[in-house]
Parts: sequence; C-alpha cells; structure tokens
Amino acid sequence: MTSLPIHNILLHKIKPRSIVPFLTGGLAFVVGGIILSSAGVDPIHAYQIMIKGAFGSVRALADTLVKTTSLLILGLAVSVAFKCKIWNIGAEGQLYFGALGGLLAGLSFIGAVPILAPIAVIIMGFVFGSLFSMVPAALKVKLGVNEVIVTVLLNFVALLFISYLLHGPLKAPGFLSYSPNIFPQSELPILLPNTRLSVGILIAAGSAIGVYLLMSKTKIGFEIRSVGANIKAARYVGMNVGKSILITMGISGGLAGVAGAILIAGVQHRLIEGISPGYGFIAVIVALLGKQSPVGVTIVAFFFSALLAGSEVMYRTLGVPVALAQTLQALVLVFVLIGELFLRWQPKWRKG
Amino acid sequence: MKQSDTSPIVLLDGITCRFGDVVANDNVKFDLIKGEIHALLGENGAGKSTLMSVLYGLYQPVAGEILVKGKRVNLKSPLDAIELGIAMVHQHFLLTLPHTVVENIIVGLKSKRRVFLDTRSAEEKIMELSKKYGLKVNPRAIVGNLSVGEQQRVEILKALYRDIDILILDEPTSMLTPQEEKSLFDTLQSMVAQGLSIIFITHKLQEVMAVSTRVTVLRNGKSLGTFRTSDTNESSLAQLMIGRTIIQHAEYSGRNKIGKVVLGIKNVSALNNSKILFLKDFSIELAGGEVLGIAGVDGNGQSELAEVISGLRKAINGQVIMDGHDITNQSPRSIRGSGLAYVPEDRMDTGLILEYSVAENLVLDRYSSEPYSGRLFLKYSDINKFAEKIIMDFDIRGVPGLNFPARSMSGGNLQKIVLGRELSRNPKVLIAHNPTRGLDIGATEYVHKQLLKQAANGVGVLLISLDLDEIFAISDRIAVLFEGKIMGIFDREHANIDEIGLLMGGKKDTVDSTKVQESDDK
Repeated sequence: MTSLPIHNILLHKIKPRSIVPFLTGGLAFVVGGIILSSAGVDPIHAYQIMIKGAFGSVRALADTLVKTTSLLILGLAVSVAFKCKIWNIGAEGQLYFGALGGLLAGLSFIGAVPILAPIAVIIMGFVFGSLFSMVPAALKVKLGVNEVIVTVLLNFVALLFISYLLHGPLKAPGFLSYSPNIFPQSELPILLPNTRLSVGILIAAGSAIGVYLLMSKTKIGFEIRSVGANIKAARYVGMNVGKSILITMGISGGLAGVAGAILIAGVQHRLIEGISPGYGFIAVIVALLGKQSPVGVTIVAFFFSALLAGSEVMYRTLGVPVALAQTLQALVLVFVLIGELFLRWQPKWRKG
Repeated sequence: MKQSDTSPIVLLDGITCRFGDVVANDNVKFDLIKGEIHALLGENGAGKSTLMSVLYGLYQPVAGEILVKGKRVNLKSPLDAIELGIAMVHQHFLLTLPHTVVENIIVGLKSKRRVFLDTRSAEEKIMELSKKYGLKVNPRAIVGNLSVGEQQRVEILKALYRDIDILILDEPTSMLTPQEEKSLFDTLQSMVAQGLSIIFITHKLQEVMAVSTRVTVLRNGKSLGTFRTSDTNESSLAQLMIGRTIIQHAEYSGRNKIGKVVLGIKNVSALNNSKILFLKDFSIELAGGEVLGIAGVDGNGQSELAEVISGLRKAINGQVIMDGHDITNQSPRSIRGSGLAYVPEDRMDTGLILEYSVAENLVLDRYSSEPYSGRLFLKYSDINKFAEKIIMDFDIRGVPGLNFPARSMSGGNLQKIVLGRELSRNPKVLIAHNPTRGLDIGATEYVHKQLLKQAANGVGVLLISLDLDEIFAISDRIAVLFEGKIMGIFDREHANIDEIGLLMGGKKDTVDSTKVQESDDK
C-alpha cells in the first residue's frame, strides 16, 4: 500500500462509518451523565472538570501525554501481532519484562554513562520484552499451541516474578517493596519542566512512524501482512510462515518492553509493583478500535489517555468514588464496541 | 396397503434451475417409488446436488413442479421439506463436534420439559432407532471423537428421529472406509425394508450396482433416463455418464517434441489431513514438452499429489526428482527455486491474497529479490512496472487500480493473475490443478492455450483435473488416479473414454492390463 495524496485520503479514507465511534462514544457520556447525577453529582460540572483534567493546563496535558506514550507504544505492539493474526494478549507481561530489562541496564555500570545510558535502557527493554514473547511464539510455531492462552497466562507469570524480585533480590533498603533508583544519567530527559513528560513521547511517535514503514514498505512487513491475510497463500508462495510469526512476536513483545522501559527511565525511575495499571490490556482495545493502523492507534491512544487522566482528576476533585470514574471509562468502551459490532454485522430484523 | 407399489412418493416434473447464465437443471424428470433406493448418477457438476436441493427446499426452480405423496407442493425452505417427511444428509456433515450425539440429534426440536433438555427419553428413542436399523452409536459420545462413519450414522439418526420417510444421501461414501461403506449399505437395505424411500447421489458405478433398485443418469443438467439397475450394466452407465459426443479434441494439434524427464515421482506415499494414507506408492514420470493429464474423481489423492510435489505436504516415503534435483520434502520456496510453477486448486483460498492489490499478488513469490526490493524495503515503482507488463501480457481486465484489493475481480481475471505470476517464472515444471474450475468458456480456452504454449516451450505440464473433457482436450498422455494409485496411463491416441471412465470408478478387471503396462513403460 503506497501512500495516497491528501485529497485521496479525504475522499476514500473518511467514510461516514468512521464517525460512528465518536457518536457512540458521545452517547456513553450521556448515559454516564445519568449515572453521575443519580450519584448526586452535576454531570455538566463533572465533565468540565474532566476535560480540564485532561487538557486544561500544561500539567494536565503533559499527564495525558505521559499516558499516551504508554498506550501508543503498546497499541502498536498489539497491532503488529494482530496484523499477522497472532492474538498477543500478553503485552502487560512483556511490558513488565521490558521494565525489568530497562531497570537492570539503569542499575548497571552502563547506567551511569551519560547519553548512552537512556539508549541502553530502551534497548534492554526491547530485548527483554522480545525474549519473553518468544515463549508463546516458539510454542505456537513448534507445537501449534494457541497463543491466546499462553500470552494471557504469562502475564501472571511476569507480574508474580517481578513481585518476587521486588520482595527479594531487587528490593531497595527500607520497608517498601521498591527497587533501587536507576542512575540519574539513565533517566530520559524531561521535555516540559515541572512535568513528567519525557522524550518518551518522541520515542512513541517514532515507533508509530517506524511501524508504519515496517508494515507498509518493507519485505518483513509484507510477509507479516501476507501471513495474517491468508496463511495458506503465504505458505503456497513459499514464505517461511514460522519465521514470520517469530519475527512478528519479537517486534510486538519488544515494543511492549520499550513501553515498560520508558515507564522506568521516564516516569518512575525505579521498578514498583503495579508500574502499569493494566496498560497492556487497554492496548488490546486501542489496537482493535484503531484498526491496527498507526494513525488510528495514535488517535485512540490519545483519546483513551485523556479519558484516563480526566476521570482521575474528576474523582479526586469531586470526591466521587473511583468506581464511578472507571464506570465511565467502561461505558465508553462498551458503547464504542457495540457501535463497531453493529457496523460489521448489521442485523436484519424479521417482520412478524 | 392401498397405495400401489409403483405410484411415486416423490415426483419432480420438468425441473429447470438456473444460476445466472448457467443452467444447472434442464427440464429434469425424476420419480421415487416407495421402498426403493434410487441412485442419482452423474459427474461433478452434472446437476445432481442441485436437483436434490430443489427437493429439499434449498433452491426454488424457475420451472417445473414437485409432487410429494401425490400432492403438489411449494418448498420454500428445508423446514417445509422436513414437514413433508424429507431429510437430506449432506456430503459435509452439519454436526457440532463438541456436543454429544443426543444433543446433536435433538437440536432445534421442542422439549417436553420446556427449558430443560429431555435427553433421557431422547436417548431411549435413539437406542430404539439404532437397534431397528443397525446404526450402532453411543448416544452419550462426543461427536468430535467419533469416526467419519459414526458421524454419518448420527446424521442419519438425526433424520430418522424426525420421523421422515424420504431420505436423500449426497455422496454418502465419499469419506468412508470400505468396511463403513458395507455397513452403510446394510443399513440402507434395512431402512427400505421398513418402508423408507432413499435417494442416493453418487458418481461411483460400483455403488449404483451394489445398492440401488433404479438409477437416473444426469449429464450437463439433463436427465438421460431412468433404468432398472438389473437391466443395465456399468459400462453402459459409464458411457451415459461421461458422454462420448462432446470430446472433439479441438485444441489438440499433435505432440510436441518430448524432451528429457523433468519430473520423476518414485514410490511416493503421503497422508491426507486426517492422517489417512492417501497417496499409495505413487510413481509417474513427466517429460519436458508434454501435457500429462491426471484424470480421476474428486478426493482420490489429487490435492495430496500436487501438495507433495510443491512441498506443502510431507511425503512419508519415496522420492520426487525435478530437473535432476532431489526435491523430496524441500521447502516450497526452494522447490519453486528449482523451477516449479503451480496453479493451485483454489485461487481464492490459496492462489491469491484477495485483500492485496493485483500488483502485490503478482509479486507474492518474488517480492524479496531484485528488482522488486532492496535489502529492507519493497520497491513499489518496480513492482508496479512489472505488474503493468503482466497485466498487458496476460490481458488481465477489470483491475481496480494498482492500490486496490483484487477481491472484486471476476474469476477468470483472478485466474489470469495466478497464471501471470506462475508462468512468468519461466518454470521447468508446471502443475495446474483444476485450472479452469468455475471459469466461463472464453477464460477456459485462454487457460488451455497458455498451458499448451508452456508445453510447446519445453515445460513439463502436469494437468490434474476433474474435468475429463479438459483432460482429453489438451493432454498428450492421460493417467487415471483412483484411491491414491495410478490405474493406468494411456497415450492420447490410444485412450478410450469408456475404459478411462471405468478406471475412474475403480474398475480394473475389464481393462487389458498388458496394454496399460506397455504405455506405462514408455
């Protein structure tokens, strides 16, 4: 697929149906408003706070973009796998392994070398995430084991393993189960002073461009797409399907690992339990709603991050229960998914 | 019994069925008498299944009438047919594999216990039926764990459970072992003895002789008459079924210069997808410059043969030599590299990626080499240049633009994409598997010309086809494949359609075996 001129994009890409997610998403806020007012909160006021919380100040926008960094890279990671029809639900676990890789780089001697250190952290994140994703990939290629089951279960393995490390070998002195901090030289430079927005967002944007080039312009991307579109045809024309699956998972897991490493080098500067509040799972939704295209994933990742950031501010300011904020997030999801569902399978109502 | 023995329980009169421009049934008359097994004989695409789908309410004919039990009926869906006591067992079973036998049988029926399934009384009724007709099956077994023969019994029980008296079986033996086949025939006999009437769709002559009371032969959608099985014989049925008039050898213009052997297959055996031995000690040689036609009824090892040669299926023993190289169980890419081109059986399913553009489809096999890509990146300008050339050379029409999916194109043009890609490889061996299936006359002729052109250029062409006319139209030699074995190889001049028809049905004893041996040795 070569790139199309702008007017072509406008003519062909924006179809009435691409508006549907926004309409159904809006509907979710209406229903959410009813729930909010039944909890004794003025919904208009609540939403104002939410929007302010997501975009209202430099700080708020920075916080949204920090979340976008994670969701965008993870959404891309999942998209690459989905394009090959590999259902990688293990981005969360791969993220934690990537975070571990980044942490180890940041704690080691190389972590003290200026300029080189953050690069090493990111690369180690990729390598660790990638290696961890080789488990489901190899099982699938060699033994035909379903990757969904393996990737889902390995999430628990990763989380529990990290938890063990943080209570034992990697525990920093003190009461809390944190790792020691990485060398300051390993931290990603902050883009906006007094915020947590680091160059991680640039890495995320670069990843989006990289994934676009990889999938649309390279031989490897062509193979990945071919295996995903028609595995029988790919095999028949002589593509090495097993190799493509391994490469795809390596890239997917590697990107998820980078997201983990950025959380270490750009946000927390150490490894903690719950360093990701389930980003790896939200990423599956981001990839699905973004139709696995870098542009779509970027838009959806930003929107979801705003929703997450805004609802956090809302519950802190208004004192509404956290559950209410999460309900709103869930509502948006359910509504958008239902809208998609009806777009794809338009039911025919029988008369009588 | 008041009803006389000869009054038909089903009468199809003047049935005509059209799909677009194709006439699938042309003024067909068919009657079924109570208590008989009536075979419906014909080649693939003769219109047998269409006719029975009309009786089962799946298709509505454009002309003709249907009488069931003396009454004119209008069948709008299978529900209407079942209401009248008609059931059909399809060639591919409609069972849910993770469920038990009982669950599969009672699905869709109302339960006396309202929301709860009434499995106990259903089990009793199933056991009763199974005893009555000799259909042994455990009602509590999971269907997915049953053999194909047992699954078929479940399908038949499902029909009987609904108290039907007319049963249609579509190619019921196509996936059975000989033992299962025997037990099916016994069951059918006991069913007609109990008063059921059975329509048996088949293309195997032996089965017609073994099981039927009467037989109706269909060819090209027309009925060629109904006969008492005892009044006819296999060779006259074979003649009717295949027809001698249509073979004109129009395109056959004599032999090319035959070169050296380019493909040698020696004692190759292979399993099918269900791990059953499907190619048995198969040997054949193909020379450069000839078209070798492999004739045979569907499901006798054609796919397995093509896949073993192209590296998509493992040979469990034996050797495949192409152009002097041993290519046995090599990867598809390296076999293609040694000079194979392969037009697969199913262009939509295997030959093409329909989401891809014509250009991308044309380079599916060569995208990774110069000039179509560099070390990392594809070179779309060179890919498109190549595509434009092939689109011209092969006269591919209806291309929806170089960046748009090929999906919307017609079958003939899709096949031209496959041909364009495969023939532009400059192969030494070309396998063409059902290359004209589903194509119109113009496109068919085009494909045949391309295959003959390849042979004229010294390529060895292996034409695997279910269409005997096609085989006779362009082959230099004809081999008959039956149950994974070569039944005989004939030079085209000496090939006799009756003999080939019999061999396709697995009848060997009427053929002079010495003659077969001679041509085999050439």
